[in-house]
Amino acid sequence: MELSDANLQTLTEYLKKTLDPDPAIRRPAEKFLESVEGSQNYPLLLLTLLEKSQENVIKVCASVTFKNYIKRNWRIVEDEPNKICESDRIAIKANIVPLMLSSPEQIQKQLSDAISIIGREDFPQKWPDLLTEMVNRFQSGDFHVINGVLRTAHSLFKRYRHEFKSNELWTEIKLVLDAFALPLTNLFKATIELCSTHANDASALKVLFSSLILIAKLFYSLNFQDLPEFFEDNMETWMTNFHSLLTLDNKLLQTDDEEEAGLLELLKSQICDNAALYAQKYDEEFQPYLPRFVTAIWNLLVTTGQEVKYDLLVSNAIQFLASVCERPHYKHLFEDQNTLTSICEKVIVPNMEFRAADEEAFEDNSEEYIRRDLEGSDIDTRRRAACDLVRGLCKFFEGPVTGIFSGYVNSMLQEYAKNPSVNWKHKDAAIYLVTSLASKAQTQKHGITQANELVNLTEFFVNHIQPDLKSATVNEFPVLKADGIKYIMIFRNQVPKDQLLVSIPLLINHLQAESIVVHTYAAHALERLFTMRGTNNATLITASEMAPFVEVLLTNLFKALTLPGSSENEYIMKAIMRSFSLLQESIIPYIPSVITQLTQKLLAVSKNPSKPHFNHYMFESICLSIRITCKANPEAVGSFEEALFLVFTEILQNDVQEFIPYVFQVMSLLLEMHKNEIPSSYMALFPHLLQPVLWERTGNIPPLVRLLQAYLERGASTIASAAADKIPGLLGVFQKLIASKANDHQGFYLLNSIIEHMPPESVDQYRKQIFILLFQRLQSSKTTKFIKSFLVFINLYCVRYGALALQEIFDSIQPKMFGMVLEKIIIPEIQKVSGQVEKKICAVGITKILTECPPMMDTEYTKLWIPLLQALIGLFELPEDDTIPDEEHFIDIEDTPGYQTAFSQLAFAGKKEHDPVGQMVNNPRIHLAQSLHKLSTACPGRVLSMLSTSLNAEALQYLQGYLQAASVSLL
Amino acid sequence: MPVRKHGQHMKLFKNKGKDETTLRRQRVEVSVELRKAKKDEQILKRRNISIHSKEEDPSLGQDRAAEIVQPSLEEIVEAVNGEDTQLQLLATQATRRLLSRHKDPPINQIIELGIIPRMVEFLGRADNATLQFEAAWALTNIASGTSEHTRAVVEGGAIPAFISLLSSPHMHISEQSVWALGNIAGDGPIYRDVLIARDVIPPLLALVSPATPVGFLRNITWTLSNLCRNKNPCPPLDAVLKILPVLVILLQHEDKDVISDSCWAVSYLTDGCNDRIQVVVETGILPRLVELMDCPDLIVMTPALRAIGNVVTGTDQQTQEAISAGALTVLPRLLRHSKSVIQKEAAWTLSNIAAGPSHQIQQIITCGLLPPLVELLDKGDFKAQKEAVWVVANFTTGATVDQVVELVRSGVLKPLLNLLLVKDSKTILLILDTISNLFLAAEKLGETEKLCLLVEELDGLEKIEDLQNHENDMVYRAALDIIEKYFSGEENINLEPQTGQDGLYDFSVEKQDFNF
Repeated sequence: MELSDANLQTLTEYLKKTLDPDPAIRRPAEKFLESVEGSQNYPLLLLTLLEKSQENVIKVCASVTFKNYIKRNWRIVEDEPNKICESDRIAIKANIVPLMLSSPEQIQKQLSDAISIIGREDFPQKWPDLLTEMVNRFQSGDFHVINGVLRTAHSLFKRYRHEFKSNELWTEIKLVLDAFALPLTNLFKATIELCSTHANDASALKVLFSSLILIAKLFYSLNFQDLPEFFEDNMETWMTNFHSLLTLDNKLLQTDDEEEAGLLELLKSQICDNAALYAQKYDEEFQPYLPRFVTAIWNLLVTTGQEVKYDLLVSNAIQFLASVCERPHYKHLFEDQNTLTSICEKVIVPNMEFRAADEEAFEDNSEEYIRRDLEGSDIDTRRRAACDLVRGLCKFFEGPVTGIFSGYVNSMLQEYAKNPSVNWKHKDAAIYLVTSLASKAQTQKHGITQANELVNLTEFFVNHIQPDLKSATVNEFPVLKADGIKYIMIFRNQVPKDQLLVSIPLLINHLQAESIVVHTYAAHALERLFTMRGTNNATLITASEMAPFVEVLLTNLFKALTLPGSSENEYIMKAIMRSFSLLQESIIPYIPSVITQLTQKLLAVSKNPSKPHFNHYMFESICLSIRITCKANPEAVGSFEEALFLVFTEILQNDVQEFIPYVFQVMSLLLEMHKNEIPSSYMALFPHLLQPVLWERTGNIPPLVRLLQAYLERGASTIASAAADKIPGLLGVFQKLIASKANDHQGFYLLNSIIEHMPPESVDQYRKQIFILLFQRLQSSKTTKFIKSFLVFINLYCVRYGALALQEIFDSIQPKMFGMVLEKIIIPEIQKVSGQVEKKICAVGITKILTECPPMMDTEYTKLWIPLLQALIGLFELPEDDTIPDEEHFIDIEDTPGYQTAFSQLAFAGKKEHDPVGQMVNNPRIHLAQSLHKLSTACPGRVLSMLSTSLNAEALQYLQGYLQAASVSLL
Repeated sequence: MPVRKHGQHMKLFKNKGKDETTLRRQRVEVSVELRKAKKDEQILKRRNISIHSKEEDPSLGQDRAAEIVQPSLEEIVEAVNGEDTQLQLLATQATRRLLSRHKDPPINQIIELGIIPRMVEFLGRADNATLQFEAAWALTNIASGTSEHTRAVVEGGAIPAFISLLSSPHMHISEQSVWALGNIAGDGPIYRDVLIARDVIPPLLALVSPATPVGFLRNITWTLSNLCRNKNPCPPLDAVLKILPVLVILLQHEDKDVISDSCWAVSYLTDGCNDRIQVVVETGILPRLVELMDCPDLIVMTPALRAIGNVVTGTDQQTQEAISAGALTVLPRLLRHSKSVIQKEAAWTLSNIAAGPSHQIQQIITCGLLPPLVELLDKGDFKAQKEAVWVVANFTTGATVDQVVELVRSGVLKPLLNLLLVKDSKTILLILDTISNLFLAAEKLGETEKLCLLVEELDGLEKIEDLQNHENDMVYRAALDIIEKYFSGEENINLEPQTGQDGLYDFSVEKQDFNF
């Protein structure tokens, strides 16, 4: 592409088209631009347009396109072609800085971004002039230009704040410091001078203060990694000026906007950050300045208003004080009673007040409000900062601070009492103050875990919290209601149980509140109370204590889901789940209505699943309904199937991916409830479950395996007779799973069920193939996880088909295979098997090999008899071997067994642990003793002589113990 | 940065490449410095201004001042180049006087006069001891300046002249030569090795005897230390082997300055590869160094600690030698030292011991280092805190589960989590790695849930959550990893079936008591 007018014209037209709302016009234009961006001169054409185009919209569009082009193409990736030709690169670097500086702000920002992207790659080696070029502009006296330079410098240097220390990085910083630190300092001083000469010129001041903000930010970046020599030498200049800027006020700089922070606020806020940086990292050097900053920042706080625009400044300033007051050597700055009182009164209390903005969020943006208030995403708020300061001060001054605040709490409560409808906010602040004062440590699961002993929480609860909640009108003073409920929630471990019991009906009542925050808090509080543990690890609140409230609780919970704004409220759904789990059989009378409501809900949300937590708890609740009901009345399973299958079919047919793993889990649960043969409705579905498409989604694998296992458990003979043609498909699933390092354990689950339940003759023709497959995998890519599963499987096989069958099938695949597997796999690895049932299966299997496999006694395999016995005793007695070979760490991280879709595993659909040898063998040690006894009776003398010649002493001792316990002896 | 040998335990952890960096670290991680050069380190070059300084004092009596007529620079050049021995002496003396004044000695101007070769000639004037001495002094002070200044002296041919003056019958000339050679050696590895190649060591060592006056001995020790100093390359091995036995003797001296410079010398010799550390270890000097590390005088304690710190960057066996010499019994006091520099160095030393095998970690516990370590993490100066974080990180990488339990029990978690607010990405990442290590241990004990609660209670959870927004990619990913692994499945743990009469959900894992 040449730099011609014609090309400029073409480019202009295409750029214009990229702004067209009609995709039919826009897309081809975008495609065209992409297709030509590899041509030489393309970026230069864009630069020409953004500078010279007649139309402003084209200028802006060209600048954005240019920046995106740079972002995509500037980096030279190793082994990939250079996407921008060298002469264009040089031309861009030569022109971009002056161009940026002479452009209007909108375009300047784009070019500044582009410069920092280029700088990230080329600066400093491949762009040596950049710094000098920038620094020279400081002399221009034109603050539009200077701010452009500062902004660019800021975008270049801000990475110093988070990158790791390295020689390369520090060399760059040193270079920057050498060229930049002194001019920046001079500019800083000159700008401050100018601020005082132009103290009455509002527009000049605005520009100058923008510069100061950028300078303060640059200071932060340049000082971040370590304290540079230059700044240590010039600390006096910087800190004195920062300090005086903190105390500066100028009416001309005050803004009317209540929300958006003004220049003055932004500058002071950055200065607080700078001071905090020095206080934290360069304490020794900064110590002489620190007290001054503490005083200045404290004064700043006292004089700053309640408007939202000051929030960042105030919270930064308070956090600064909070971090300083915890340090032992600054303790004295706060120690004085007057200072403490003043901080409490003028800094903490005002910032705890509930403001108009909070009230707005409470009403109109409740989801956000709850997130901030309940889940602690309030890190930057004033309340939170004030709270941290309280905790910081309490480290050294808990007594005095508690004393001071008690006074405030009382007076605020008195104010409230005088005229509640006007003064309710005073009470809100009082509750907040008590909460922040009392809580020393907190977790979501347990609420407050460490409280300030100087605060009487129960007394406050009885006198000031309960009365609000007892009020007949649930919709009055919603903020105080929410405060009260939250109080119960977080102090649930401090308030005595009888008081909690009194609160339960109050909370249930508040599920009806119109305010989303209030009914959500009520649901959440109930849910939390129901999870508390009492003695013996049982729930603190029992089902019988809840008996009087069951109906109203369930009614109100389900009604709350119909309140505006709460149709998919996860807190309510979780409370429903938790109530079911606590109440158990007392919910049975309500199940018909409950299951109708849940299925309706399920049908509704399956149209567009958007709240994963809500959906998860909904399925958990469905599972609970099924379990609880069928436990009392197994016949009821049919009515659940009737209610649910219609919706499930729809979900499967519409392929609602989020829900399919849940559906399989619920179906497994239902199928496992059947006591008799598998119903035909399930059998009809069986072939569909083997569809490869379902197995391609990793989230489906665990629940589908579980479902197939349920089929095998209940319907193996039906499958063998009515669906024998599907057996290869079933084994195909096993093969698919076994091929993957991530899913092989699932493949073994399936295989184990097949071996355990299918009639032997139905799988006879496939058995050899199964083993060959396993041996191949063992040879090509064995992992610890695979070996563990493999060991369990072959022992299960041995238990089911006999040791001789195992030896025969191994040796039929390859001569001496059996011995090789014993020697190379079973004996050295058996110690790695984990899990009680798994170990038991292995123990019984190995016992069979030792005692019921003639070739072990009279062939070359005999030499393995003692090592195998030794390994078995090791399995019984030694700790599990959990070492993992080196190269496997990486597999484990990515392919940990488990559910990939985050929320898909349903706890209440949980499967009963299955012990295939449970009926046969109770105590495997005794079983070993008895089996050995039997063997020694069959061939007297041989066992004893082998034991006495080669079993090690310790193992022999254990073995004698088993024999004794079994009351048998060897012949 | 060379990575030190490390134990088998590395195999148990993922991302091995990353974890190796948490192991033994040598002193200099980054050779570029932003900070002011350190003031408390040993001096590289010294100017001789101590004697006769009164000559410059303007408050001196008039008669005295009148006696000394300072010639102009032109007169000096003329006299030095002339043949009149008396004038040569006066001019040399005048030059020396200019170079010995307290403020701004005119070194550059003197060099520009071009009289250095002539001064070097005067060094050979065995017939005129005074002239020899004055010339030696003047050259010493020139060599004490910048590298360029030193080069001027060396290029004037001073090295062989000074080396032969070491054997001068006049002790003050010999001493001045020692000093001059010290300045040349202190310039850097190139001149140091030139001196060594010129066989400076034998005559220098010959000066050390029980009869050597203390002042002289101090000068010799300092020059020896400069001969041991500097890396890239480090001094030749045979030179080191010659010096070491004398250093071992000097370390037993009673003078603090002699001991201090000897310690510095040893610290330079140990600041390098393991072979060099081995050479020092084999002298059997470690117990004495450990003893000196406990000396109340900062000038002795600092280099002794530095030397031991360097030794433990070596192999496990070398580290064991330092431990056997008692290093761990002294470190608790140093971690609590009033000077934060000492705290920092002590913590650095400890961090390298903690990078060792678990039996060495056990000795850290046995010697009571955990309480002062926790104090340092909590209240130390930022630089010391950073080193303390390395200690904990290395500790949790190599320790057994029981040792980790011991660490947590000593209260490490609270200050460690507080440090997540620190403004240093590397430290934050180290802490996150440490937390992961703690969780690995907790998993083995089946105490994951308890550790989760503890972390949350100590306000760690929200800090880790917040770090998911960190600009640094590795920090962000490490934080995310912890949250995803340990804190996102809260419900599953929570939901574990509680009843169980029907056997339906009675397979909850037996929990043991959390012993932290």
